[in-house]
Amino acid sequence: MHQHVVRAMNVFRLIGLYFKVNLASALEYRASFLLQAFGMALNNGSFVFFWYIAFSQIGGRIGGYDFNDVMFIWALCSSAFGASHILFANMNSITRIIVSGELDTFLLQPKDVLISLLCSKTSLTAWGDFLYGFILMALTHGGDVPAWSMFLLGIVIGGLLMTAISVTAHTLTFYLGDSSLIGGLALEFVISFCIYPEGIYRGLVRVLMLSVIPASFIVHIPLKLARHFSPGLLLLLFAASAAYCGFAYVFFYRGLKRYESGNLIIARM
Amino acid sequence: MKLRKYFIVTRISLQNSLAYRSSAIGGLLFFSLFIFVFFHLWRAIYKGGEVTGYSLTQMIWYLCITELVVFGCRSGVFSQMNDDVKSGSIAYQLNRPYHYVFFQFFNALGNMVFNLVIYGILAIILGLIMAGPIPGFRFANLPFALISVVLGIVINFFFLMTLGLTAFRLEENFAFYLIYQKLVFMLGMFIPVEFLPRWLQSIALYLPFSYVAWAPARLVVAFSWDLFWQVIPMQLVWVIVSILMSLGMYTYGVKGIQAHGG
Repeated sequence: MHQHVVRAMNVFRLIGLYFKVNLASALEYRASFLLQAFGMALNNGSFVFFWYIAFSQIGGRIGGYDFNDVMFIWALCSSAFGASHILFANMNSITRIIVSGELDTFLLQPKDVLISLLCSKTSLTAWGDFLYGFILMALTHGGDVPAWSMFLLGIVIGGLLMTAISVTAHTLTFYLGDSSLIGGLALEFVISFCIYPEGIYRGLVRVLMLSVIPASFIVHIPLKLARHFSPGLLLLLFAASAAYCGFAYVFFYRGLKRYESGNLIIARM
Repeated sequence: MKLRKYFIVTRISLQNSLAYRSSAIGGLLFFSLFIFVFFHLWRAIYKGGEVTGYSLTQMIWYLCITELVVFGCRSGVFSQMNDDVKSGSIAYQLNRPYHYVFFQFFNALGNMVFNLVIYGILAIILGLIMAGPIPGFRFANLPFALISVVLGIVINFFFLMTLGLTAFRLEENFAFYLIYQKLVFMLGMFIPVEFLPRWLQSIALYLPFSYVAWAPARLVVAFSWDLFWQVIPMQLVWVIVSILMSLGMYTYGVKGIQAHGG
């Protein structure tokens, strides 16, 4: 037990160190950093206009959600995406790194391969996504404590789930060869089911959203918990998210055993 | 301007698109996903209450067409301009026997024609499956609506090229791209102009953004000669303005180039 705690602490310390180095690097180009973050926040903000128009057309609920509910899932999805891409931006490059043989560099390091791989890059625009969620929450939910609690918890869970989805999709490269297409599409695909009310779908799609496409665990269940808290549902959220992330981790390491080293020489600055 | 060389450029880019057609699979999947999600969304909205100006069937077809124009026939010209200018590779193209702006247009044209066909077929299939035939649709009107589709694609291309060419003078121009893209999304692609508040409708109809996606889609789902003669002259004006702007931005940008060999 003690060993597991020490290992977990080491992982958090490693993530923290990568974060500090990546942030320092981003701040070297302050103007570009701020412009990109601002551009992305503005980009996301335009969708508020879409929902304003959609709700003003009918003046009621859409798929069981009111305007504030939609703003909650948008805020949570945006901040969770931002957090995952601030910390683990390399998730989008896993296939390229495997195929090009760059993975050798990570295998030689004395730390967890997957964590090192994920953390070694950050995204500047992700800061815009991350902060946008907080601004949207402040504007639409003010001091609503249950909403803020689930929003903050949802960022952690959603960020990890989004990373797990990307890792799982890119890991297929170990098993099937170049999976850049599915790797690139997987997360976008899941996000498409996160940013619209759950109630617009029925039947099989709803089942998929609770399994293969875990969109319900990323935004819709946190929204339900924010509106009507239920300890059982919270437990289900934790269990399902842990299972999904655990699967992605094991799937990656199983696949890694099939990796054949290249002879590419790379210097990491 | 000798056009033959540009047609050869278009033919080669069309051949490239046909040779690398598997790269279109990701886009086709996304196109289908977009229509699938928005079909469910608008169905839920129509269940919630009355929506003025469009029936659900018209709305689904409207989205199929706007998505075809903006997403299906996108060209990547913005990032191409950025790469050419920022990497310096534009220097190698300046002394070639063609005009850089027109070369880029005709080079993209082959791919856009290819995409118009494959995304067009997909749009028709998805529209028929999800919404059924458009009420009151007449094939005789289709060629006139297609003129508007082509003009929308051209306007979008040259405005994106103008924004891409700002890389000559600005270090970071991605925010402009996002702003332009969202104006096209919100003033036509996602939301028909008729859904906007009255004050915004009157402004939108004087701006170019709605003429990229709204005008062609409206003509396909609810063709009328009044609308045709209202939007086509405006589209032609914006085609001319966007071409002049890209030529102006190119000339202004080239004056600032400093080549250092290499």
